[in-house]
Amino acid sequence: MLKTQELTLNMGPVHPSTHGVYRCVLNLDGEYIQNAVNHIGYLHRGLEKLAESRTYTQFIPYTDRLDYCSGLSNELAYVMAVEKLMGIEEEIPERAQYLRVILAELQRLGSHGIFLGSFALDVAGATGYFYIFRERDRVLELITRVGGNRLTPNFMRIGGVRNDLGEDFFTELKDLMDSFEPAFEEYNGLLTGNEIFQSRTKGISVVSKEMAMDYGFNGPNLRSVGVDYDLRRDEPYLVYDRMQFDVPVTHNGDLFDRFVIRLKEMEQSVRIIKQAMKEIPEGPVMAKVPKVIKPPVGEAFHRIENAKGHLGFHLVSDGSTKPYRNKIYAPTFVMLSAFPEMAKGTHIMDAVLILASIDIVLGEVDR
Amino acid sequence: MFGQGLIKGLSITLKNMFGPKITEEYPEQRPNLPPAFKGSFDLKVPKCIACGLCANACPNKVIKIESEKDENNKKKLTGYTMKTERCLYCGFCVETCPTKALLWNHNFELAKYFRDDVNLDLFSSYVPSPEDEKPAKPEETD
Repeated sequence: MLKTQELTLNMGPVHPSTHGVYRCVLNLDGEYIQNAVNHIGYLHRGLEKLAESRTYTQFIPYTDRLDYCSGLSNELAYVMAVEKLMGIEEEIPERAQYLRVILAELQRLGSHGIFLGSFALDVAGATGYFYIFRERDRVLELITRVGGNRLTPNFMRIGGVRNDLGEDFFTELKDLMDSFEPAFEEYNGLLTGNEIFQSRTKGISVVSKEMAMDYGFNGPNLRSVGVDYDLRRDEPYLVYDRMQFDVPVTHNGDLFDRFVIRLKEMEQSVRIIKQAMKEIPEGPVMAKVPKVIKPPVGEAFHRIENAKGHLGFHLVSDGSTKPYRNKIYAPTFVMLSAFPEMAKGTHIMDAVLILASIDIVLGEVDR
Repeated sequence: MFGQGLIKGLSITLKNMFGPKITEEYPEQRPNLPPAFKGSFDLKVPKCIACGLCANACPNKVIKIESEKDENNKKKLTGYTMKTERCLYCGFCVETCPTKALLWNHNFELAKYFRDDVNLDLFSSYVPSPEDEKPAKPEETD
């Protein structure tokens, strides 16, 4: 006699499709997910607590280890929070601000590159993966030129950037930006226009506007459901208010939209970098900042539009050289909480895609 | 027409098949590393004034400096160890060095068989070279 029962399946913690050490307990009815439960914390290193025993400057390299796909953006968010705490955000030299914009956008290209590549791999399209990683590797090579490391450059400083970048960096950057345009056509030809890819992603795991707002979505995932909100435009920091760029918005909120919006954002990033390269003035790259940083008693919160969403740092100072508290608002931690609801009722092979479409990085989720 | 996208994708891969090769055949082919690359550390021992700024700048207390005072009451380096297993490779130590005694090198193949071999003893592994004997002058900071 045929007897059916629910099956409990552990996805992770060590599994390539979970994009890190993340465990999900799935209740399956056949191959359809009835219930999913998140288990996080496998990569918890206590970065917020570590910050309390490090000086303000010494914590900069640790922020690289949050979302290790976008090290420079994390550093930027942190140093801007410290600058706000010290009240010197007006004194940052123009050239440093432009360099920060260029590097943050370059890092966005790298981070979205890993999203698109691994997403292609998750739909079993290994070709798309390698084509996207070709450009991503060139981005990482440029970041190595800047900071010395591929993923943890440690280039942003409180008051500016570590050192000025020479002419050879900009020629290389221009060369890379020019090669992105034909590359986007290739990505679209290989993935976006591919019928198999479309049938795997269109109409799957549709997130409504209300649900996205309820769960506190931000960044590209929020814009994919049709909410037009981008901190670079709506709460401008650095010199983003001088840049001409569009905020891509899609309206279906399915997997396909979450993929396409990042591809469109990469195009805008290239546009911003090209403008910034044209407009960048000469001058110093570091403001006059005391060697020992002792912010006045108080607190500050600053958030930026990271590749994954809004990355924020809340710093509390007690007037000493070390922060009293450093709270990190991590976008993917917030959005991962929606995974059980997004995955409910879907096929198990789509669950892998849904998880990938949130673009989680466990370094940031667990901190 | 269904399948148009597939054909387009195939034409892209076919075009790239005859294009230039972009992979690097490491280890036969060595990577071309930029000057800022952070590999491992070099210490020019004669240049070091044992000021301890690098040890102070380190977020993880990786560097341990031993020094003694000579007859002119000047500090002299007698030991310099780095617990590299804890190193973040952030470069604050190299950046803060006033005499440019501590430098990055391009050696990135740092895997070792035993855990203790990872740590560096830069003082005893120093190979003297005439270049380093030039008098140490602290750089002026603005």
